Amino acid sequence: MVALVIALALFFDFTNGFHDTANAMATPIATGALKPRTAVTIAAILNLVGAFLSTEVARTISGGLIREDDGIQITPELIFAGLIGAIVWNMITWLLGLPSSSSHALFGGLIGASVVGLGFGSIDGGVLLSKIVLPALLAPFIAAVVAFLATKLAYAVTRRAPEAQGGFRYGQIFTSSLVSLAHGTNDAQKTMGVITLTLIAAGFQTSGSGPAFWVIAICALAIALGTYMGGWRIIKTIGTGITDVTPVQGFSAEASTTAAILASSHLGFALSTTQVASGSVIGAGLGRDAKAVRWRVAGRIAIAWLITLPAAALMAALAAVIAHLGPIGIAIDACVGVGVIVMIFVRSRRTAVSKNNVTSHPVPVPVGIDETTEQKDTAR
Amino acid sequence: MIDWAAFLAVATASLVSALTLVGLYSLGLRLLPSPDAPSRSRRLLSTACFVLCGIGVLFGIYLIVPALHQA
Repeated sequence: MVALVIALALFFDFTNGFHDTANAMATPIATGALKPRTAVTIAAILNLVGAFLSTEVARTISGGLIREDDGIQITPELIFAGLIGAIVWNMITWLLGLPSSSSHALFGGLIGASVVGLGFGSIDGGVLLSKIVLPALLAPFIAAVVAFLATKLAYAVTRRAPEAQGGFRYGQIFTSSLVSLAHGTNDAQKTMGVITLTLIAAGFQTSGSGPAFWVIAICALAIALGTYMGGWRIIKTIGTGITDVTPVQGFSAEASTTAAILASSHLGFALSTTQVASGSVIGAGLGRDAKAVRWRVAGRIAIAWLITLPAAALMAALAAVIAHLGPIGIAIDACVGVGVIVMIFVRSRRTAVSKNNVTSHPVPVPVGIDETTEQKDTAR
Repeated sequence: MIDWAAFLAVATASLVSALTLVGLYSLGLRLLPSPDAPSRSRRLLSTACFVLCGIGVLFGIYLIVPALHQA
């Protein structure tokens, strides 16, 4: 059971990686500051490094959300169900190319499973509202305002030297690398937290202890691998879907994202990287030309944010109900979960998005690379 | 309930730091002398802007890596 949960947690970490490559690398890819493959390689390396850098106790994953202190004990079965909900939701949003928050999916999954297993009393509603729901509404708003002003400023300063604006491409490389590094220190931690929580729940580790080195290492590898695979669908949405990003906008958006994420992690008001990044791009779009923002795409993204937590919770709850049947239930859960993931992969190949068509100006495909290899690239 | 003071602090810090960085980098690009009109003073100012941006990036790395500021 414990091994199964760890495997699932790592798979979640992997989906987290390819879901969030877009946060850092969508705009440099869109403006041509970095080649798609180079961009995801840098992101993967920085995620790997970032995961090792942070030594904070990953146990804070539940952040008081699940009332462990009151003697309520989460079991490996419930974590298992929570992870299934989170992974399935991450896969669905990936298929639709929607940049939803992987953290919300994870929290939603754990909440859904806990409610089924332990009752509504196990969830701290106040914490849920103040730590997750309200920040989710505020994050894109702050990011959009900051990016809007930054874009205006950048255009104002370089207005008389339009030839200088291409120089923002080089700046983008630095800002997007910072976002990647910050992402690695945050997101890999969540999976380490889940695995450590499981090991503690199963009695392999003493309560309150931090993640073991092998846990840190495999989580770092899983998120880096996921990042390297590149969530091309989501990169496409953020990089060219919301608005066609210019180097000036890309730099302003990434600088705003970096500033907002660093400020939030150091001043104690947690904001989701995904939501900050998307908000920045919208703000940068408004800063250049309000008409160039595709509100239909932005609306779809906003809806995805709103339903991520409840949707993952619902699926996890369902998985938890089945898991209550005992070992057979767990087996059913695992089979259904794998089935859904395979189905989504198969479905995704019909409308492949890869490094070759991730921007609106397609990178020429070298002679000799046929369509099948291109598709494989996405499906991996 | 919600910690509005923390929220305001984050919003202000994001705004100030992002605008400073973007402003400096833009200024650096703007002051970059064109090849046909070389200017030593502009090159110097432009370089100064980029160096300040570099310091900003280093500060970002310092903030990201806990080992550097929690020693």
